[in-house]
Order: sequence, then C-alpha cells, then structure tokens
Amino acid sequence: MSFFGFDASLPNSEKVNSKKKKPLDFDETYKGLGDYELEENDYLNNETFGANVELGTDFDFGHGDSTPVSNPDVPHRSYVAAASTGMNVPQENLDTTIDLKPMESLWGGSGHNNQQVMQQPIQPAEPQILSMEEIERQQRQLQMNPSMQQQGGYVMPPPGFMQQQGPPGNMNNQFPNQFPPQFVPPGMPNQPQFQQIPQDFHQQMYQPPNQQFHPQQMNVPPFQHPQAIEQQQQQQPRPNIQSPQEIQPNQAIQQQPNEAMKSPSVEQEAMKSSVQQQHLQSRLSPQQHRPRTSSMSRQQHQQQRREPPSAEEQKRLQIRHAKVEKILKHSGLMTPRDKDFITRYQLSQIVTEDPYNEDFYFQVYKIIQRGGVVGESNKGLIARAYLEHSGHRLGGRYKRADIALQRMQSQVEKAVTVAKERPHKNALEINDLDKNSEHGRDGVLGKISSTLNSKAPRRQLQIPLKSANSNDNSTSSLGSPIQGNNMMNAATSGALEEVTESLGNVDINAKSRVRRRSSYAFTSVDQNSVLSRSGGRKFVLRLIETVYGEVLELEANLRSGKKIDNNKLWDALHIDDEAYEVCPFVSMLSFDKGVKIMPRIFNFLNKEQKLKLLQIFFSELSHLNIIIISSYKTNPTPSESQLKQIDLFQTVFLKIIVSFLSNNSNFIEIMGLLLHLIKNNNVSFISTSKIGLNLITVLISRAALIRQDSNRSNILSSPEISTWNEIYDKLFTSLESKLSLIFPPKEYTNKIISITNDPQFLQDDTELNLCYYDQAYIWQFLASLALSGKLNHQRIIIDEVRDEIFGTITLAESLKSVNSNDSTYRREKLYQDLNLFLNVMGLVSRDGEITELK
Amino acid sequence: MSDTPLDLLKLNLDETVYVKLRGARALTGTLQAFDSHCNIVLSDAVETIYELDGNGELSSKEKKSEMIFVRGDSVTLITTPNADE
Repeated sequence: MSFFGFDASLPNSEKVNSKKKKPLDFDETYKGLGDYELEENDYLNNETFGANVELGTDFDFGHGDSTPVSNPDVPHRSYVAAASTGMNVPQENLDTTIDLKPMESLWGGSGHNNQQVMQQPIQPAEPQILSMEEIERQQRQLQMNPSMQQQGGYVMPPPGFMQQQGPPGNMNNQFPNQFPPQFVPPGMPNQPQFQQIPQDFHQQMYQPPNQQFHPQQMNVPPFQHPQAIEQQQQQQPRPNIQSPQEIQPNQAIQQQPNEAMKSPSVEQEAMKSSVQQQHLQSRLSPQQHRPRTSSMSRQQHQQQRREPPSAEEQKRLQIRHAKVEKILKHSGLMTPRDKDFITRYQLSQIVTEDPYNEDFYFQVYKIIQRGGVVGESNKGLIARAYLEHSGHRLGGRYKRADIALQRMQSQVEKAVTVAKERPHKNALEINDLDKNSEHGRDGVLGKISSTLNSKAPRRQLQIPLKSANSNDNSTSSLGSPIQGNNMMNAATSGALEEVTESLGNVDINAKSRVRRRSSYAFTSVDQNSVLSRSGGRKFVLRLIETVYGEVLELEANLRSGKKIDNNKLWDALHIDDEAYEVCPFVSMLSFDKGVKIMPRIFNFLNKEQKLKLLQIFFSELSHLNIIIISSYKTNPTPSESQLKQIDLFQTVFLKIIVSFLSNNSNFIEIMGLLLHLIKNNNVSFISTSKIGLNLITVLISRAALIRQDSNRSNILSSPEISTWNEIYDKLFTSLESKLSLIFPPKEYTNKIISITNDPQFLQDDTELNLCYYDQAYIWQFLASLALSGKLNHQRIIIDEVRDEIFGTITLAESLKSVNSNDSTYRREKLYQDLNLFLNVMGLVSRDGEITELK
Repeated sequence: MSDTPLDLLKLNLDETVYVKLRGARALTGTLQAFDSHCNIVLSDAVETIYELDGNGELSSKEKKSEMIFVRGDSVTLITTPNADE
C-alpha cells in the first residue's frame, strides 16, 4: 500500500510465514527465471518507460538511499557533522524563515525533507477524517496507555505548523523540535519527562505539534541510541541541527502502516483551535519546551542539568548510528525463500566425495598451525608441511602414497590440460583468422578432450591424418602463416604417427634385424671386428678421407661464395647405406679423425639430414666403438689412449648432439631419437658406458626441459605427452632392476683413477681414491631419469641405487678425516653430484644426512 | 680409385702408426703428415732404441717426444701398430 512498501510488510511476512510451513520447491520458485523468451509486448516498453532512458546499473536497494531526492537543497549531513558545524548553517536558513512566508515553500513545497515524507502519499487516503475531539481523545488514550503509542493512530501535525506558532525569536529552536523528544538517553525513564511539565507549562502555546509524532517511537530500542545523540545535541545551545532527512528513514520504518495521518492543513487548524491538545503534546515531550523559552540562559540551564555528552560518547554513538544504518539499509531485501535458496546453493558447493583431498589447503594450513614455530619463516613451514602431507616423496608422513600419487598425476594432467588449451587461443589472436583455423588445429592432432582429470582419464587418441590434410587444403588458399603451421602440424603428426607406430613393435623390424648382430653387446674392444662388418677398416678410412675431401671442398666453396651442394658429402657419409651390417658412418666414428670432422660435416647438413644421421647414430649405438671402449663391461681396463678417445668424443660429438637437440629439434624428434635408441639397442648395456649414459641423459633431459617449457608456453599436444610417457616407460622398463649397474665397479674406477690422476695426489687408501672418479655423469643421468618419471619411477630408482647413495655419502664423510684443501673440494663435489639427483625428488644431502629440500 | 702407396698411407693420417727406422730404431705415434719422400711427422711419439750390449743381450730404451719429424730416407717401414703392442 504505502509508497515504500512498509504498509505491505506485515501482510507479506504473514504470507511468507504461512508458506514457510511447507517445504520450498526450488524448481517452482526459480525455474526458468533467467531464460524467459522475448516477451511479446516488449515493444511497448519505449512507450511506457520512454525511449532514451538511461538505465544505470548502480541500483541501491537499501532503504537509506531510497528516500526521495526531492530535497536537493538540504545537504546530506550526518548528525554529528551537523552538530559540529554549530549554528552557522542553520542560521542562514533561519534567516530566510524568520518571515513566516518562506516556511510555506520550505515545508510545504519541499516538505519532503520533513519527517512527513513517508506518510504523505497516504494522506489522501484519510483526508480530514479526524475531528479535533477525536484527536484529543486519541492522545489521551495514548497518555493513559503508553504502549499504544506505538500502534500509531496518532495525529501527525504538519511540521510547518510550528513555524506559525513559534515566535521569530525562537526560530533557532524550531529545528530542535523536529528531533523527537522521546530521544531519551538509554536508561532514562520516561517518567522524568512528565515531571518537568509544570516548569514548561507556560510554553505550551509554543509547543510545536509535531512532537506528537515522536512518542510513537519511544519504545523502539535500536533507534534510541542514534537519536539520543540528537537529543543531547539539541539540548546544547546549538539546536539548529538540520538533518531531518536523515532521521526520516528510521522513523519511516518504525511507523506503523496503519498509522493515521493528517493532512497538514487539518492539523494546523486543529492545533490552532486547541491549546489543550498542545498541552497534551507538550506533556509527551516536555524537554522540547525548554528551547522554546527563547532564552539562552534557559538552555544553558538545561545543559547544566543534563550532563553534556562527552566527545568520546558522541563518537561512540555516532559509530553506533552508522552501524545501525548499515544493518538496516538492506534489511528485508531478501525473502526467507531467497535466503534458503542461497544457503542451499552454498552448501551444495562444499559437499565433496573426498574431503581429505578436496580440503587440501585446509589440511596444510592445519599442519602449519599445529607445528607453528613463530620465528621460522613461513615459507619453510609451508614447504615442509606440504612435503609431509602430500607424500611428495615416499608417501609422506602418513604413508598415503597412493593418494599422493594420484594427486600428483592429476596435478600434472591438469597443468598439461591448461597449458594445452592456451596456445590455440594465442595463435588465433595472432593470426586474427576465422574460426575455421581453430578447427584445423584441433583436427590436426586429434580431438582434444578439454575435461581431463584423474577421474575421467584421457581417451585413446585417434589421429585423423586425412582430415588434417583436408584442412591443409582448405586453408591453403589463405596463404597465411596458418598454412605453414598446418603443414608443419601435419608433418609432425606424421612423425608422431611414425613414432607411435614403431612404439607398437619395438621388436626389431626386418630391416634392422639384418643389421642387428647377436654379439654386439660383448664384442671385443678390437675395433676391427666392428669395422669388418661395415666394409673393413680400409674402407672406412677411405670414407673418412673422402669425407674430408668433400668437406674441404665445401669449405672452399663457402669461402669463395660458391654454391654449396652437399649431396656428395651426404653420399660419402653412407648414412643410407644398408649394404653393410653396421652403418659405415658409425664405424667412421671409431676413428678420432672421424669424430673430429663431425662439426665440420654438420655445418653443411640440413636439418633433415642431421636428424637422419642422428637416428642412425642412436640406432646403432651399440656398434659404436666408443661405447664399447667406454663400457666397463666390454673394456674393464681402459688404456690412456682410450680414455683420451672417450674425452674427445665427449667434447666433440656430444656437443654437436646437445646443440642440435636444444636448437633445432622438437619434442617429437627427440622422442624419435630416444625410440631409435631403445628399439635397436640393449639399453642396459649402453648404460654401463659413460658415453652411452651421457647420450641417454642428453635425450631425456632435453625432453624434460621441453615438457617443462611447454607447461608454460605449450607446444605439446596430449598425444605427444602420452607417446612420451610410453617411450619413457619402455626406457625405464629396460633399465629397471639394472640401474645399479650403471655404477662401474671399483676395479674399473680405480684403473681410471690411476690413469687420469697423478699418483702423488692419490691417497694410500684406495677407498678414498674413489672420490677421484667423476660420477657426475651418473647422477646427471639419474636426475634426468627421475625428473621425467612419475613417483613410482622415482621410488624404484631410489630403491635400486640406495646403496650407491649411501656409499657416496659415506665416502664424502670419510673424506672429512683427510685434512687438505683437495679433500674438502672432493667432498663438496661428491655432495654436489649426489644432490643433483636428490634435489629432483625434493631431497638434499648434507653432512652425512639426507633431508627434505627446503 | 687408383691407389698409390702414399694414398694408402694417407688413410692412416691421425691414426697411430708404427714406423721402423734405420739404426735399430722404431717409432710409434700418431701420423700427422707425410710427403712423397716419406718424410713424416708424428705426434705423441715413442721412440724405441734397441741396443746389443757386450754380452749380446738386447736392451731397449724409450724416448718420448710430443712431436717429431722423421726424415724419409731413414724410414724403412710404416704400418699400424699391433693390437697387443
């Protein structure tokens, strides 16, 4: 009924209450609320609301701001602010209102800033019904029965009325009259007010009628405090607080819907005609009379009688008032049904199947709290708690290895998934092409499921090669970068397919079976036996000379700026030559000069040739002389010259491979090379040689690096990842249970130590001399192996090399007894190498102990 | 491919060779260079000098040299070193 719905509040709540008794049907309540179709009569909206209405989004549903904006002249001020400004501002207003006329416009025209604002819309509803007698009777009743005051039915005199009655000299006190007399400070009984009546009786004539209004609110506790401050201020000699509009909202809310209202004119008449009534009114709010005495001394007297509020108290009250304002601002905005709906919705979010895991952050937080060392840095605590809890290493403190494993896997997969989706968007933005290109991308490497997690594992991928090609064709007309991209993708998908296919039959295919020798693993160091299978020593040497000749010619051409044609060189390398059991190229590497020429050869090869060369190289790694002489199994007593050969190979050829892998090759190519290695060789034999181990390390660490990179900038597709996982599994399987064999026996290391080190530096104790054997390459290998592996892989690795780990630590500790700079350095080096591996698993070894990495 | 003897020698460049010299001397080293007079340059060479003392006993002593030039007229034989040597 009422303008702001206050009338309706009661029936509303009744309705709600009645409905509350039966359970709420949410479907019924909210179903389809958001997805309504276009309404038919929408076109009338313009007619109804106007065509160019600016609709803001800044809606405020709080009651506080919903009061009419009809009084822009009156600045919005807080009570306290108003009080502190003193009388200046109000007096300006008063000056204009001393002459009674302007009051009409002030209170009638802009009467909205009066308390009556709320009720005005209702006033027409009961116009001039109450006679003066009725009013008097009502007020008497109210006096008799104060509790009734709240029930309303009260006469509301117009605010303007007081101006008519108040002498100009008292204008200062008019505004105070607006403040409810019932604003008794908390705890102050009403009774004393009535005792004051006699004192103030002579002022009844000036009693502003609107004081009637106030008693209604007397018993509403929340508003007593904010208003009490007004009361106090009012009684100080600066009563002109000009903030009626602030008080309105509160009062409006408190007023009962059925409150009888009077039109101002009726009220005025009634007031004029009845002094008696004013008397009654005055009795209700006697305090108001004192300002009406029109003497400052009077006010001061009052001030002395009543304890002036301290600044602190004022502040407190101000804060309180602000709080109440805030609380009430949006009160009643939501129905109980709304609240119920939201509560249920929120509850549904926290129901989970596995609270232990879903609540992971709380668990960690709890651990941190429990272990709470205040001084320690927070970071360390969190890291430790995480490690302990997550089972990062071996199941964590609670041995929940299975869960830890699952979580780790799902985390990885999530990260991969996220990273996977990013590039498509980026590429799209860059190319600024139509959406077809996105489909093209998606199609090239198969359908990518975007909702991967541990619960819904990735489905097996079907690589639609044909569709990729068709996409290629469709986009070819664009002549855009996308085309090249697609072609590249098609090419990589082809490569990937090749890799994946060959994964299936790691059993040697017919071609490689011809080449594969049964005795490759333990052939003698005599390189002639290898050479004989690739055309003989003379043949290989001749090839080398030819290659040298070609390279020299090409270099001469390069210098003179002639055209480079590497076909002859390529032929001379005999990479594709399958006439021999062992590729002649591999045999060429048996000779130092064959190794030395390699960097110069690589200068003239294109990428495909290099890749092909390396594929052959890794395929026939077992035949490589350098592997044989660097393996402790086939060459337990290496000679000095052989060690030099190994060094040479490492510095020359390994360098080439590393630079090729890190500069030119993509993930699939690296996987392919690794696959060639696994497929055609006895990996565990190769891993017994230093060079072989180095080569494997280079491959898998590079792959791990690319994978880490792609987590950020993403290049990898999910089939690539899964293929990689398969390859890694194969590699790991071939190494499993033989991992400890990558550590050469003591005899071998001693031999090497005796060769490579000046005897005068060596200790008498051969045990201690072990520190002179550089094991860094072994730990590097284990580190990269563990880096690419999952948790179970890491556990196997640790299990298998545990003895070596502790052996190294023991050795390092025993070096403590030797007091020399060199032994300190060696000791540091041992720990450094060992930690390379341990750090991968979040561990660190120091001073004979293994601790978690912080 | 027409091979002259020196072409075959060329194949052993940068390889370890055994060179027998006049005067009961032998050299083992890495062949670095040669010419048509069979002048050769060896690196990391070990020269073995055999001597018969008064009792008819054969003794030998070795001299190492990082790089050595051997005049071709003293060279009697060039071959690859034996595997067991």
